[in-house]
Amino acid sequence: MSAETGSAAPVLAATDLVIEYSTRNGPIRSLDQATLTVGSGQIVALVGESGSGKSTLGMATGRLLASNAVYAGGLLSVAGRPVYGPGAQGGEGLRALRREVLAFVFQNPVAALNPTMRIRRQMELAGPAGREARDGSSAAEALGEVGLTDVPRVLRSYPHELSGGMAQRVGIAMALRRRPRLLIADEPTAAVDATLRAQILNLLVSQCRDQGCALLLLTHDLHAVAQHTEQIAVMYGGRMVEHGPTAEVLGRPMHPYTRALVAALPGEERPGRRLEAIGGVPPVLHAGCPGCAFAPRCPDALPNCRDVRPADAAVAGRTLTCHLHPGEIGDPSAAPNDAGRPRATEAGRRHLDKEQEAAR
Amino acid sequence: MAPSGGLRYFAGRLVTGAVTLWVVSVLVFSAVHLVPGGYPDIVLGPASSPQVREALRAEFGLDRPLVLQYLEWVRHVLTGDLGTSLGTGEPVSAQLMRRLPVTAELAGLSLALTVLAGVPLALLAGLSRGRFGRGLSRLVGSSAMSVPDFVLGSLLVFLFSRFSLGLPVGGYVPLAEDPVANLRSMALPALTLSVFGLALVVRTGRDAVAATFSSPHIAAALARGERIGQVTRHHVLRNAAIPVLTVLATYAGYLMGGAVIVENLFSLPGVAQAVLNAINGRDYATVQGLVLVAAAVFIAINLLADFAYGVVDPRIRAGHRG
Repeated sequence: MSAETGSAAPVLAATDLVIEYSTRNGPIRSLDQATLTVGSGQIVALVGESGSGKSTLGMATGRLLASNAVYAGGLLSVAGRPVYGPGAQGGEGLRALRREVLAFVFQNPVAALNPTMRIRRQMELAGPAGREARDGSSAAEALGEVGLTDVPRVLRSYPHELSGGMAQRVGIAMALRRRPRLLIADEPTAAVDATLRAQILNLLVSQCRDQGCALLLLTHDLHAVAQHTEQIAVMYGGRMVEHGPTAEVLGRPMHPYTRALVAALPGEERPGRRLEAIGGVPPVLHAGCPGCAFAPRCPDALPNCRDVRPADAAVAGRTLTCHLHPGEIGDPSAAPNDAGRPRATEAGRRHLDKEQEAAR
Repeated sequence: MAPSGGLRYFAGRLVTGAVTLWVVSVLVFSAVHLVPGGYPDIVLGPASSPQVREALRAEFGLDRPLVLQYLEWVRHVLTGDLGTSLGTGEPVSAQLMRRLPVTAELAGLSLALTVLAGVPLALLAGLSRGRFGRGLSRLVGSSAMSVPDFVLGSLLVFLFSRFSLGLPVGGYVPLAEDPVANLRSMALPALTLSVFGLALVVRTGRDAVAATFSSPHIAAALARGERIGQVTRHHVLRNAAIPVLTVLATYAGYLMGGAVIVENLFSLPGVAQAVLNAINGRDYATVQGLVLVAAAVFIAINLLADFAYGVVDPRIRAGHRG
């Protein structure tokens, strides 16, 4: 964990969170005991294929899931306030949390704006409550801060008159106006012109750094992750499989799924070598997965991978959930609902590094 | 960019309206003259001699080529002369002036009833969570839409006359003569004519509200911690109004057809009743004149609706929708 985490409560703490969607064909489990911690001011990437549950986790932070989502266990709290689990509040408390602590940046920036309202009015409505809200100049300042030129024209515009990049800058300005403590950005550059993606991401990260706002970046884009984030959490089948400092995780991926993701990256290929795709398809879970969700696609699966759930283990400076790397304390045959999950420790890490080396 | 785009949009609508009116004039003229059984057949009956029929045709200029008759008619209409009734010899415009207020009042009351009752009901159904609102609005909507006017109207006539329920089922009192009696005589006809529109507005409005609620910008507003009431006021109403305006414009067109049935059922001396009588009597001038005016009114209503879209939805002004 990075230094600034300190002793303060993390801005996001999810523990064994289980969320299911009830459908006509029975429940679909989207989060299967997902565990994630984001410290104050941290820039964290959450990566995984579509369907891995990362958007569900992102929206769950503000209890903004679709109406067919069912909470089925675990805890989630934002800045110490419970969102799922005992003491979770709805109504006014939840709205206060959304207003004061959380902010979201969405995938499609134009669709996230009201199509029949000028940007000025939308900025006012999204701004801080009270007198300032009527103050047009502060809306203009906010737009200036996100690098928009010709702010008066943008303020006069309707969303359809803006490009995707401009609209996303407006989205970022709106999200950061209330000085949130945690910003959830779900594929914020997916709908933006490829040439502008780096710019938008730079802006998002630097604005969050300036404000000391933690950023949870949900993305497929590992290049961007490598460049901008301190921590990375790799998600598969509704739970974290590998979580740790970005440089170490991407530099030396250890979970077979992370390894496959990194190998599938364009740009990592060498002449004469095939660009690898991950074989098979991501799972659709109808209940808790008894073993490791990646086992059916895993090239190195052990006999017990499909049936026994691996425990979290501290390995090489990261948290790893894999039978191939059982770690210091983790027992490969541990029960799936093991309560006291071991966390990474320095001692454990050194120990495991040696063990890893020996194993190779 | 916005003002010139808006101007072009409105000008474009105007031109389209003018062209539509011209097409309607051609269609009405041809339809009226191509109906089997011409004016002499109807007036003189099947037993009349060919010579007498020819004389009658010549008297009204019906023996000339249709193209010439059409051009003559258009020339008169453009100078404000709608022609003279073949049946009564009265100018068509005089008949129009006498009958238009009746139809306009009927249509206006129906439209008002539709909007004033339909929009709140649609909102209520759209805002009520879960299946109850949707189920109720679907049930009310589809049953009200599937009952034809003449069935509903006949039922009302029967019930109110058989059991003397306090509202007159026929006879018309001019507004200037006795406003209260006028409204009482208009109540049942307007109700009959508005039920279809009411159902249309409730269904469309409910679905529009529900669809708007599931759009990403509403999710974004809720994610910012805005109250559901604020979100509805700021972000839902205007967006949901767009499809409702569309069906209201369609309904305004339907009112013209519905008026034919309702005016006959409740013996209202309106335009629609006159058109029906004129068709039966092959009174070409009256049919042409009245239908052309009705078409002009219809086109004007649609133009108004188009302008209203342009005001409500900035994307339409700019020329790209959705």
